Amino acid sequence: MPQPLAPKEAAQFRTIIRSFEDKQYKRGLKTAELILKKHPKHGDTMAMKALILNSQGKSDEAFPLAKEALTVDMKSHICWHVYGLLYRSVKNFEEAIKAYKFALKLDPSSAQIQRDLAILQVHVRDYQGYIQSRTAMLQARPQLRSSWTALAIAHHLAGNLAEAENVLTTYEGTLKSPPSRYDIEHSEAVMYKNSIIAEQGDYQRALDHLEKDAKHNLDRLAVLECRADYLLKLGRKEEAAKVYRLLLDRNSEHTLYYEKLEEALEIPADDVAARKAIYDEYAAKFPRCDIARRAPLDFLSGDDFRQVAESYLTLMLNKGVPSLFANLKHLYSDSFKKDTLREIAEKYIASQDIDSESKDKGEAAALYYLAQHYNYHMSRDLAKAHEYVDRAIEKDAKSVDFHMTKARILKHEGNIKAAAEMMNTARKLDLKDRYINSKCAKYQLRNNENEKALKTVGLFTRAETVGGPLADLLEMQCIWFLTEDGEAYARQGNTGLALKRFHALNNIFDVWQDDQFDFHSFSLRKGQIRAYIDMVRWEDHFRDHPVYTRVALDAVNLYLKMADKPSANGTNGVSEEDALEKKKAAKKARKEQQRLEREEAERQAKQDPNKGGQAGDAKKKDEDPLGLTLAATTDPLGEAMKFLGPMLQSSPKSIEAQIAGFEVYMRRGKYVLALQCLNRALGIDAENPRVHEQVVAFRKLLDNPPSDLPPKVVETLKAELKPADETADLSKFNEAFQAKHQASPLHVLSAIKAKLQLGADLAECEKEVAGLVEHANATFTDAVAALETLKSWRSAQVDAFRQAALAKWPNVTRLAE
Amino acid sequence: MSSAEDASDPPPSQSATTAEDRKAASALSHLDEAPSSSANNTSNNDVDHEAASKAASSLGGSTSKAPTSSATTGAAGAAAAAKKSVKVDAADVALLVDQIEVSKAKATELLKAHDGDAVAALRAVARG
Repeated sequence: MPQPLAPKEAAQFRTIIRSFEDKQYKRGLKTAELILKKHPKHGDTMAMKALILNSQGKSDEAFPLAKEALTVDMKSHICWHVYGLLYRSVKNFEEAIKAYKFALKLDPSSAQIQRDLAILQVHVRDYQGYIQSRTAMLQARPQLRSSWTALAIAHHLAGNLAEAENVLTTYEGTLKSPPSRYDIEHSEAVMYKNSIIAEQGDYQRALDHLEKDAKHNLDRLAVLECRADYLLKLGRKEEAAKVYRLLLDRNSEHTLYYEKLEEALEIPADDVAARKAIYDEYAAKFPRCDIARRAPLDFLSGDDFRQVAESYLTLMLNKGVPSLFANLKHLYSDSFKKDTLREIAEKYIASQDIDSESKDKGEAAALYYLAQHYNYHMSRDLAKAHEYVDRAIEKDAKSVDFHMTKARILKHEGNIKAAAEMMNTARKLDLKDRYINSKCAKYQLRNNENEKALKTVGLFTRAETVGGPLADLLEMQCIWFLTEDGEAYARQGNTGLALKRFHALNNIFDVWQDDQFDFHSFSLRKGQIRAYIDMVRWEDHFRDHPVYTRVALDAVNLYLKMADKPSANGTNGVSEEDALEKKKAAKKARKEQQRLEREEAERQAKQDPNKGGQAGDAKKKDEDPLGLTLAATTDPLGEAMKFLGPMLQSSPKSIEAQIAGFEVYMRRGKYVLALQCLNRALGIDAENPRVHEQVVAFRKLLDNPPSDLPPKVVETLKAELKPADETADLSKFNEAFQAKHQASPLHVLSAIKAKLQLGADLAECEKEVAGLVEHANATFTDAVAALETLKSWRSAQVDAFRQAALAKWPNVTRLAE
Repeated sequence: MSSAEDASDPPPSQSATTAEDRKAASALSHLDEAPSSSANNTSNNDVDHEAASKAASSLGGSTSKAPTSSATTGAAGAAAAAKKSVKVDAADVALLVDQIEVSKAKATELLKAHDGDAVAALRAVARG
């Protein structure tokens, strides 16, 4: 029970709440002080004060105060509600839910607490709790349609489709007259119900419902697509075909419609002529349609393919379509098609009646196509690529596309420096093109030019953002830039800034997770239910995004390096050289920080005093702009777990993730989990060279298990390590692996590394690694890997190897670094 | 083996609190029902409103006749109780918590699924 107040104070208390809702925090605090002066132990007021303090960013003051409020007034629903809100703001959802529940027990009629609880329950996917909350909310306000829809959503997400449908049907039963045809909420609800029926697999009923209730639905496209789909599934092919033709008339560029039409017309996959006839029909009907002309290339073969490809290519080259190669490269996995396309392009150039004057059509387009052809990894011949792109540039010395491809070819040669310069040349040809601007920044980052890249990309960021281009890129969640920036810093050994970027990226993914919070109520209010359900389902697996895996791997590998070099953290065994290096780095970092502070001061001094300050206040000052605290961590492996855990959970099929997991768990002494990663990696690719190294390392560990390892664990590990059992001679096992993969430099490299682990002579191993430069199949990427290995051993061979490798691959930037 | 009991203690008490919570919540929903049906009489002029309220309470009825659901949770509880007869060594729970970094509850569950055999449980994890 909240403590009662005199009428005057009660009015003041209401003012506080209003001030809080209007974000008038200062006024709210002032009013709260007025009440507290008279009633210093008034729990509700203390709670509100805590809430306001928290909104001002003073959560370290807010929590103790809220706790104190609870101790003076344990039976107040307001105090508990505030306590829950505080926990929610620091994302401790479990405690927040507990607090809300308690508040609700004390005041079961509060709609606000009930709503907050419900939203949090669906946020943490407590569907059973959500159903309860939504049922209670429905009983409180049955006249609102959204109350019903929300309960249906709760059942739907919990997997009880029948109950979800029942709720929607019950509500419809209460309607006296059908809602207006233009009621968008109703229209959406009908389609939502339809999707629930279909999800139950009862297509006949879904179709009936569609024909009866969705006849005049506002979402015409969805109705048509569903109808076609149901008819096809029910075997009513003739009718389905009709609907798919209708859909094709609406959008003739949709590949799926063609495929479904073929299915509805019962054309067998090998009846190419009949399939082609469909596409021809639409190509004739829609002269500008691209898909109808291009799609047959996927299934045609032999002379048919050549004929169609020739007419398609000729048409596109005559027009000068820049995306031509990108549209066709998926055909390259078929070597006949790959060769045929090349022949056609060559023949096109050789023929006399083409446009050889134009800058982007005819011959120029064909040269551009062939340059991309020889640059593509499945048909790579970089010398020829250069030849063609140079000829194309001769036709048009001002073409952005041609220069961009030239830069790409240079990159594939390993000449990252020249590639970045070429990309910059391309950028200068069209300063207003954001795409080439981004590309150029990316290439500069690959060339470890962080500041230059930021300047480049800064030409397109919002100029007035406080904190400059980087702040804008962070705010806009520009993940490609942050990833490349972090990787460039990691390559240069700037651990602090690299970690800074990787953590920023991790935060962005957290934000994506938090973003759904507002939609739990917003989508209901707007009635966009199908999109909402899609979003909830996407949120459940969004960390399997490839960028997340990439960033997590970068971060974990960096932390592993830090863990292996404890001297960098100044904990133990500081060798003289390291100490010196560290001192230098610290000095440099200090200078950099001073420079930043100076710039900041200058900027503020310059700012207009009248409008300044406000924007600066709003943004929290970054206490660690260079990531020095991140780099100074004493527990790099623990930090690595923050990235590793989510990655292993969301992308268990990534062998890179499992390999990284093994390394971290080994160093942390969690051998069962290390073996789990190893076995999963073996399941993905048993012949992976890194995995072989790990098998050897693990086997070796088991020959002499640490004395403090419990016997039960040792038993487990011995039983579950399959590839090299206890009886096997590890050296022989390793030799066999090397012999088997003699042709692959990377496998040989791993075998040598394993041999070193098994006690082979270091000098001998170094010599063998250095010898890889002569390997018949070695590429420059293999040489870079070998160089990295030698560097990690601090081998004396590094310089000699570098020279030998550079003699063989003279322009490779990574070898020269 | 008082330590073993300690180890297996948390789950039942936890389930009890959630069951209690559920009971409390359903009691709350009953509390809600009464005023909403009485509110019907006052706002009789709005038939649409009444129909909706009625439908809502009938839905609420169907969920509150959830003895079926509570019976199933009861059955699940019974099944858990049956599993409970598996003796779980507290030392094994601690071992799993340390080695495979799971919560105590999860470790207990895992051990029970393998008849209390720590090596079998660990092997299942290591197998990947």
